[in-house]
Amino acid sequence: MELTALVFLPAAAAILVLLLPARQEHLAKYVALAGSVAALALSLWLFFSFDVDQGGYQFTERREWVDLGAFNLQYFLGVDGLSMPLVVLTTFLTTASVLVSFSVTHRQRLYYALLLVLATSVLGVFTALDFMLFFLFWELELFPMYLLISIWGSGRKEYSATKFVLYTIAGSAFMLVGILTLAFSASTFDIQVLGQSSFQDTVLPLSWVFLFLFIGFAVKLPMVPVHTWLPDAHSDAPTAVSVMLAGVLLKMGGYGIIRMCVTILPGEAGDLSAWMAGAGAVSVLYGAFVTLRQTDVKRLIAYSSVSHMGLVLLGVAALGNTGMVGATYQMVAHGLITGLLFVCVGLMYERTHTREIARLGGLARQMPLIATGLVFAAFGSLGLPALAGFIAEVMVFIGSFEEFEWAALMAISGAVLSAGYMLWMLQRVVFGPVRPEWNGLTDQRHWWEHSVVLMLAALIILLGLYPPLLTDVINPAIDSIVLRVGA
Amino acid sequence: MGAEQAWLLPAVPAGFFILLALFGRYLPRQGDVLGVLAIGTSFVLFFFVLADYLGIGEGTDTVLKSWAWSDIGDFSLRFGIAVDPITIVMLGVVTSVALMVNIFSIGYMKGEARYYWFFAVLQLFAASMLLLVLADNLLLVYVSWELVGVCSFLLIGFYWEKRSATEAAKKAFITTRIGDVGLLIGIILLWREAGTFNIQEIIHAAENGEFSSTYLTVSMLFVFLGAMGKSAQFPFHVWLPDAMEGPTPVSALIHAATMVVAGVYLVARLLPVYEVADHTMIVITLVGLITAVLTGFMAFAQTDIKKVLAYSTVGQLGFMFIALGSGEPAAAMFHLMTHAFFKALLFLGSGSVILATHHNQDMEKMGGLWKKLPVTGTTFLIGSAALAGVVPLAGFWSKDEILNAANTEWGAWALVLTAAAAVMTAFYTTRLFIRTFMGTPRDRHVYDHTEEPGWVMGGPLVFLAFLAVVSGFLVFSGVGSALGFPGGVTEFVYLHHPHEYSINWGLAALSLGISGAGIAIGAWMYWGNSLARSTKLADSYPAAYRLLVNKFYFDEAYQWGIDRVVLGFSYIVSWFDRNVVNNTGVDGSGEATVYGGFVLKFLQTGRLPNYAMGIALGVVGLAFAGIMVRG
Repeated sequence: MELTALVFLPAAAAILVLLLPARQEHLAKYVALAGSVAALALSLWLFFSFDVDQGGYQFTERREWVDLGAFNLQYFLGVDGLSMPLVVLTTFLTTASVLVSFSVTHRQRLYYALLLVLATSVLGVFTALDFMLFFLFWELELFPMYLLISIWGSGRKEYSATKFVLYTIAGSAFMLVGILTLAFSASTFDIQVLGQSSFQDTVLPLSWVFLFLFIGFAVKLPMVPVHTWLPDAHSDAPTAVSVMLAGVLLKMGGYGIIRMCVTILPGEAGDLSAWMAGAGAVSVLYGAFVTLRQTDVKRLIAYSSVSHMGLVLLGVAALGNTGMVGATYQMVAHGLITGLLFVCVGLMYERTHTREIARLGGLARQMPLIATGLVFAAFGSLGLPALAGFIAEVMVFIGSFEEFEWAALMAISGAVLSAGYMLWMLQRVVFGPVRPEWNGLTDQRHWWEHSVVLMLAALIILLGLYPPLLTDVINPAIDSIVLRVGA
Repeated sequence: MGAEQAWLLPAVPAGFFILLALFGRYLPRQGDVLGVLAIGTSFVLFFFVLADYLGIGEGTDTVLKSWAWSDIGDFSLRFGIAVDPITIVMLGVVTSVALMVNIFSIGYMKGEARYYWFFAVLQLFAASMLLLVLADNLLLVYVSWELVGVCSFLLIGFYWEKRSATEAAKKAFITTRIGDVGLLIGIILLWREAGTFNIQEIIHAAENGEFSSTYLTVSMLFVFLGAMGKSAQFPFHVWLPDAMEGPTPVSALIHAATMVVAGVYLVARLLPVYEVADHTMIVITLVGLITAVLTGFMAFAQTDIKKVLAYSTVGQLGFMFIALGSGEPAAAMFHLMTHAFFKALLFLGSGSVILATHHNQDMEKMGGLWKKLPVTGTTFLIGSAALAGVVPLAGFWSKDEILNAANTEWGAWALVLTAAAAVMTAFYTTRLFIRTFMGTPRDRHVYDHTEEPGWVMGGPLVFLAFLAVVSGFLVFSGVGSALGFPGGVTEFVYLHHPHEYSINWGLAALSLGISGAGIAIGAWMYWGNSLARSTKLADSYPAAYRLLVNKFYFDEAYQWGIDRVVLGFSYIVSWFDRNVVNNTGVDGSGEATVYGGFVLKFLQTGRLPNYAMGIALGVVGLAFAGIMVRG
């Protein structure tokens, strides 16, 4: 029951928000905050009562759902060491997103309701253990995202929202073919059972099935060359949506690759691992080189995400313990660090109304807190030790080095480029001569802004200094996957 | 408290960093006294570690302590410290210089904006640097290696309102990061063969021949890239002179005495591995030699007092690498120690001059300051003499060791080049001192407003001057025995290979000749207040002079590389990303779909005969296809 409660808590809060009378619209944010904090508390309780010594899924609940004769759809939830950290990441970033949205004034009830539905759909993706249920949650996420970008966005928001939806659906179409092929050959949608079965080529060769699933997840990750929806969606989305998008939605791709592609079809993963490693390394460098030319702060961070998510793919491709734990760690670390980057940039944008790097500068004078947050997050992003990203990067490098030396070398050299674009951005945005046109702006106003920056920063430090907090949880789950890959 | 508790040395400043960073601005005096207290505590603790270590006696080379940090599969992160003679020397250097710099900064940074932040980052730096020298495994070395880098970035860019300061900070971080990437690759390569990050175990593995020869050479050269970046060796030397944008106490601590010697420290620590890795020793020596000679030339044409010292620092680091490449880590560590004292003294002295002349760094506006600045002038003279290698000051003894090492290992050609670099050192040091303190004032206004800063700055100068005089004597076994480590500092460091300091009279005479010659040429050229001789020289060789003033055009070449090659390639990738991937591939497929729908909609005519025709054609087509397939 705990997981059902967790998944639908945000949705319940969304209904409450929608039921608010128009006169009470200003209460919407507090209801949303209460809902997201409750979900965060519940997920933390689950995290700390999660038994790290026991592999496999925990807090499982299973009900028959739709009887299809030969086999059934189930309502089947559960978490293991791979999904548990991502669940907490989701509730944590949902809370952060609600807090940074406090300054939204346009159609607040609908806004918060959609944000909460988005949280429910992502939590559903991370906890569903029935492939069809997973797919439903996966598709559900599109609806709030489309509306959030196209109503509260800026710039070419309709174009970006449409592009986002069409791109994901195109990927999902492939994924659905893959899901159905697997389900019909194993006579079940049960992910747990699928993850223990062995398959033969049926209607489609298994490598095709693997690729079909992979395409769906790679779009989400995003992997070069199916990434161009990301910069557009980011630059036109409101701050909170950027935080959710970079923080948790991209992780659905990485999670899917590990949980579905690698676990269900380990043989095909082994055959194609060199291609995955290559794609990961190319994403790292390609993303970094494109980032170097960006002139819009949000697009810059978006492209840096392409680069950093390439590391996830590289870590997974090594199919070893270190690499995959590193990839999972990287998903959490990137979620927090990039989340903080978008929060800081969003807060700056609210004040200066520009994201053009050329027009910014010297903001450390007017906005010391936001500037400190941005500098901190930028160093996290370029992999500074003692912050979360470093642990993840080193594990990915080491894990992939044994299998794919060349790909690991490419990815490591990306570290120079990431220092280049992050420091260049800092120099132009927060440092440099103070610009009088921004005098009068301040960041010493709202408690919610301070608390978001502080809570993200604290967690980034905690995960940088004390990795066992996560690795002890992730390790057993990855162990069993590696065992299956090796067999 | 013994050597096993040496982890307290970094822990104390780390704790004070958190305190000062969060609450410094609300504390009385913005917490500057707490900064001094923190690093002072580490300085006192150093003596406990030293006493305990010496008390353990012969045979124990290392005191180890380590804690598991995180274990993932075959990859184990450990947090461990090791104390051995090299570490002891580093601990002494770092804590003493850091303490002096903290005290000095109370005077120097007085009234600056973000005063508390300056002291906070100094604590973070001290903690990271001490962790770096205590770390028992390469991954922890890398962690602290990056952390000192970020402190350097923050302090170079302390005056972030100045574009030049942020440029310099960025340049320093990115240039060293290129080396750091090499270091990380090297560490991973070593780990893959040895299965460990632990330094002692890697040394054992290398000595037992567990690495194949080429593999080891390649790995160790990657590690050396990291050392070259951090220690600003050719061709990475370009960042250090620019790093002088930072407040002068920072230049003294980070960019002269401690952080930049991290590369020397790392190579010294791993020297047993380098000794068995083919061809690496000659590479280290050559890099050191090229750097020492090149930066000697570059220092000639600088008129900024701090820039001269910066090039000098790079050159002296080159000397240390020559010693390492010649297989004499003791000589390198000895020079590292004496250099830390006299170069910190010179930087703090220049800081004193800069503050006294109201933020003037240009030597052309100085001259004759000796009368106005007796304390600074005297201590600066001692520091200069030590740098120039005047007997019996510290620099003489350590430079002599290096000449000896180069001569013994590589022979005459190395000796000649090292000696040439040493002559240049004496020459530009003389020029520096004369142009600043001697002669008559060149800028009346600056001169009239110059006054000696107080003792909070004078005190550290006197203390460091004292060390610049006496620290060289530590090389003698008599002095060493009296202090508890028989055999003197070089034998203490060189625990594994007995090595006794003995004077090679021929070399000592050469050494004296070197500093004498350099000083004589310098005095001949700049004594009095006249630039006539040097101007004439510059006019006779205009091309050479231009080359020196422009520092051999390294910066221009690198800038070209960044603009044309890196950003050019990045332009091509972005163009491809926008026009090919997005506009053609993504948007193009969208537009093709829309256009396809537009064309196909004309088939929807609503006329029955058209549809019947379509059905008929379809049936015939399918039948035909069926016949063809069945054959």
